[in-house]
Amino acid sequence: MTTMSSVVEMVVNARPVRAEVQPRTTLLDFLRDELGLTGTHAGCEQGACGACNVLLDGRVVRACLVLTVAASGSEVTTVEHLGTPDLLHPVQEALWRHHGLQCGYCTPGIVMTAVDLLSRISAPSDAQVREALSGNLCRCTGYAGMVAAIVEAGRTRDEQAGVE
Amino acid sequence: MTALDEDRLAGAVGPRLGTRSGPRHLTGRGRYLGDHPVPDLCHVAIARSSTAHARIISIDTDEAAALPGVVAVVTGSDLEAMGARRFDHLLGPPFRPLTWPVLAIDRVRFVGEPFAAVVATSRAVAEDALEAITAEMEELPPVVGVDAALAPGAPLLYPEWGTNVFLSTENATPGLDQAMAGAPRRLTERFESHRVCGLPIEGHGAQATWDPGAGRLTVLASSQQPHQLRSVIAEICGLDETHVRVISPDIGGGFGNKQHFTREECLIGLLARLTNRPVRWSQDRTEALTASVHARAQIHDVEAGYDTNGRVLALKVRVLSDLGNPVLYFSGAGPAFVTVANLTGGYTIDHIGWSLTCVATTTCPIGAYRGFGQPEAHFTTERVMDLIASDLGLDPTEVRRINLLPDSPRPWRGHGGQRIDVGPLGSQLDLLLERFDYESWRREQAAARDEGRYIGVGVSTLVQGTTPTQNDTAGRFGSLEMAAVTVLPDGRVDVRVGTKSQGQSHDTTFAQVAAGALGIPPELVEVRDGDTDALAYGQGTWGSRSAVMGGGAIIKAAAAVRAKLARVASGLGHVLPSEGSVDLDVYHRVAEVAWWHAHLLPAGVEPGLTASAVYTPGFTGPSPAGGANHDETYGSHATAVAVEVDPATGTVRMLSAVLVSDCGVVINPTIVEGQHQGGFAQGLGIAFLEECKYNDDGQPLSATLLDYTIPTALDVATVQVVHRPTPSQTAGGFRGVGEASIIAAPAVLVSAVEDALRPLGVKLNSTRLHAASIRAAVRATGWKPDAAFWALRLRVPGEL
Ligand code: FES
Ligand code: FES
Repeated sequence: MTTMSSVVEMVVNARPVRAEVQPRTTLLDFLRDELGLTGTHAGCEQGACGACNVLLDGRVVRACLVLTVAASGSEVTTVEHLGTPDLLHPVQEALWRHHGLQCGYCTPGIVMTAVDLLSRISAPSDAQVREALSGNLCRCTGYAGMVAAIVEAGRTRDEQAGVE
Repeated sequence: MTALDEDRLAGAVGPRLGTRSGPRHLTGRGRYLGDHPVPDLCHVAIARSSTAHARIISIDTDEAAALPGVVAVVTGSDLEAMGARRFDHLLGPPFRPLTWPVLAIDRVRFVGEPFAAVVATSRAVAEDALEAITAEMEELPPVVGVDAALAPGAPLLYPEWGTNVFLSTENATPGLDQAMAGAPRRLTERFESHRVCGLPIEGHGAQATWDPGAGRLTVLASSQQPHQLRSVIAEICGLDETHVRVISPDIGGGFGNKQHFTREECLIGLLARLTNRPVRWSQDRTEALTASVHARAQIHDVEAGYDTNGRVLALKVRVLSDLGNPVLYFSGAGPAFVTVANLTGGYTIDHIGWSLTCVATTTCPIGAYRGFGQPEAHFTTERVMDLIASDLGLDPTEVRRINLLPDSPRPWRGHGGQRIDVGPLGSQLDLLLERFDYESWRREQAAARDEGRYIGVGVSTLVQGTTPTQNDTAGRFGSLEMAAVTVLPDGRVDVRVGTKSQGQSHDTTFAQVAAGALGIPPELVEVRDGDTDALAYGQGTWGSRSAVMGGGAIIKAAAAVRAKLARVASGLGHVLPSEGSVDLDVYHRVAEVAWWHAHLLPAGVEPGLTASAVYTPGFTGPSPAGGANHDETYGSHATAVAVEVDPATGTVRMLSAVLVSDCGVVINPTIVEGQHQGGFAQGLGIAFLEECKYNDDGQPLSATLLDYTIPTALDVATVQVVHRPTPSQTAGGFRGVGEASIIAAPAVLVSAVEDALRPLGVKLNSTRLHAASIRAAVRATGWKPDAAFWALRLRVPGEL
């Protein structure tokens, strides 16, 4: 059952990474166990909850469904790269202001989904935000605050773009 | 908000401070169970039964143990050989006696019951090794559901009991039968609260390290009650409490599912000791869905007698509770006891009688999930109100109004001894109807019906018992709380409390509470919880208790510190007032002097600025008229929803939801609103989507999140929360709140959907509002969508 490992190379949070991994290692386990990026969470490891969402070449994916070898040659962005507790990313800031999180376990996945959405649609409507979030399960909040936050983050960015 | 509200709320609603932990979690810097790597960490995978009921003949672990990377493979007997003790529910008669081993030894009694465990250098290897364990099992007949458990000649889970009934008891007020017989009208119904799972997004888990030199075990556990878990781990592992440290790190949701002091948490402690290596188990999603804790699963046979005004004169409820295999450290019968204690809710029902029959079945244990028995009670009580209204042609809000507790006396003593201290309920209902705009929804409904659309309105008037205090055997599970408050030399305040936040933002609210008690800004306060080495004792977070108990303990300790601050200040020639804000320059000077300049202290004042306190409100216990009150204070929440139902597809669209909340003094309205919104979403999930199902063989049919679907952002409507606080008599004036909306939601949603479908004569007697259940209820009336309707439905999208 132990299989030959292979070498992967990728850019994670703007840093080049080279490592040996087993073919069955998921990107989720690789990020958490090998790179120590524990902000990406395991909620189900079945592709259903979105707690493990990361950006792979700029698009949101479920890290539990991506094999690390398949991500070789790609660019991966995790929640750790988006903001710091002292300098939040605008999406994080809006989620905080709108009480868009409680236990915080789903939160990194929500942030990644929101960032991906706002990269595709500049000022999404409530319905578009709900549609985009429908792949992220949150058991605590009932979603109201996070939807409001993402709508606002989109609108604010749009307004700022208009001003510039 | 109207001026009236502003007046009423003055002083009882705190500021909307942002949560302390927010930025940490938003940037992926939270530290949950799986985020604590240690050198040499080993991983545990657990072999679980794939049959519902079987005798274990033999377990062969040799092949698994020989795999590279495997450190140990153990069975239940191996653990007992090393000294592991058995769990005991500790309850005397009328409960059947029951003990169970950490890993099943002779029999397995549900799919998912653990019988062996592997320790390996990686989780993947540990899981591989599970495949190499061979267990020979002699299958026994399964027992699925209450009826099967009670059937004559049913297979027995515990043959020594001679029955599957774990517990049977009853109670009634004198004169119940006469009152029932004399009631002008009567109804009899069967209601069901179906089986669901709380399912926090972070699964349960534990990680342990053994220090052989000190003989000390440290267990990190995703546990809601670290101190009480310490007691259990010490008992099962044969250690004393000073030699066990339990740390609950960040918790990714609990909802009661992380409350039971599980077999697995003890197993991890034993394995760390056995292997002398740090070990971790992280529950996977299938384990969470099939082998953790399920909830609800009650059937109520109800008889109600009432007069022609809708006043309930007598209520009789036979509660049948499916416990699954009742191997949980406080029994799954706990919620059922809470159910029978709350059957009268906030109503003045003159006569009440209940019987309770709890049965063992070969399914996952039933235990705690947010609400803990109250949702089942509330569902029945509210169904009775609605059915009476429908029978008498009355408005359901009028039937509630005539039955609600009058405004005095307070506290109101319920039949069971409940000491109900809620604010006025009639005016709370008035406020709800005004804010929800009840009349205009009724007009909408009438107009929609004219167009062949089905709009419905549901109302619930909930009185919730909060902050339970147990007596006797169960006293160890909750009766007090502890806190320690220290003003450090730099004026910062270190607060430690025995409750454990799992997303309720106690770091924020308790900082507000401590700051208020000390008269300083909350920014100066830092709150710590979840470490048995940081505070001697505590009882954790559950049962809507933290604000009352934890907040109360903090207030008590802070009051002692404040008194000392004032004494030192006066020795220095200053005045620190006993209430309100303090002068911060004086405060900082006192903090320094108290710790660093003992020679400046007034005579008789010892150095230091620290106090710890143990708090209990003291409102529980026997009532003067018999019975006992188990809740320190009660909250009241009135909820209304409007829905539109499509009878052809069984789908429900939420149109409006309003909740008038009385949780006493509101520490932080944003956080209370978050609790209501989140709890409502869970209640909505129960009604519309979720069910833990088994087939007749006892095989779980909902083992992944694809079969057990929980609400997404597309499913949940926003609940508008109106605060109407009535301070309680507990320290701080708080009442519990975290469970209110999940208790209310299934009842109010079923009420609304049935109301929508009233023209079709649909009856809804279970908490299932899944599309298929609604369709079945609609079809049962003989109604069918007409052909023209389907032609419209089936048209290619975009063609309209
Ligand atoms: S952990 Fe990847 S989707 Fe749930
Ligand atoms: S905040 Fe707890 S799961 Fe979303």
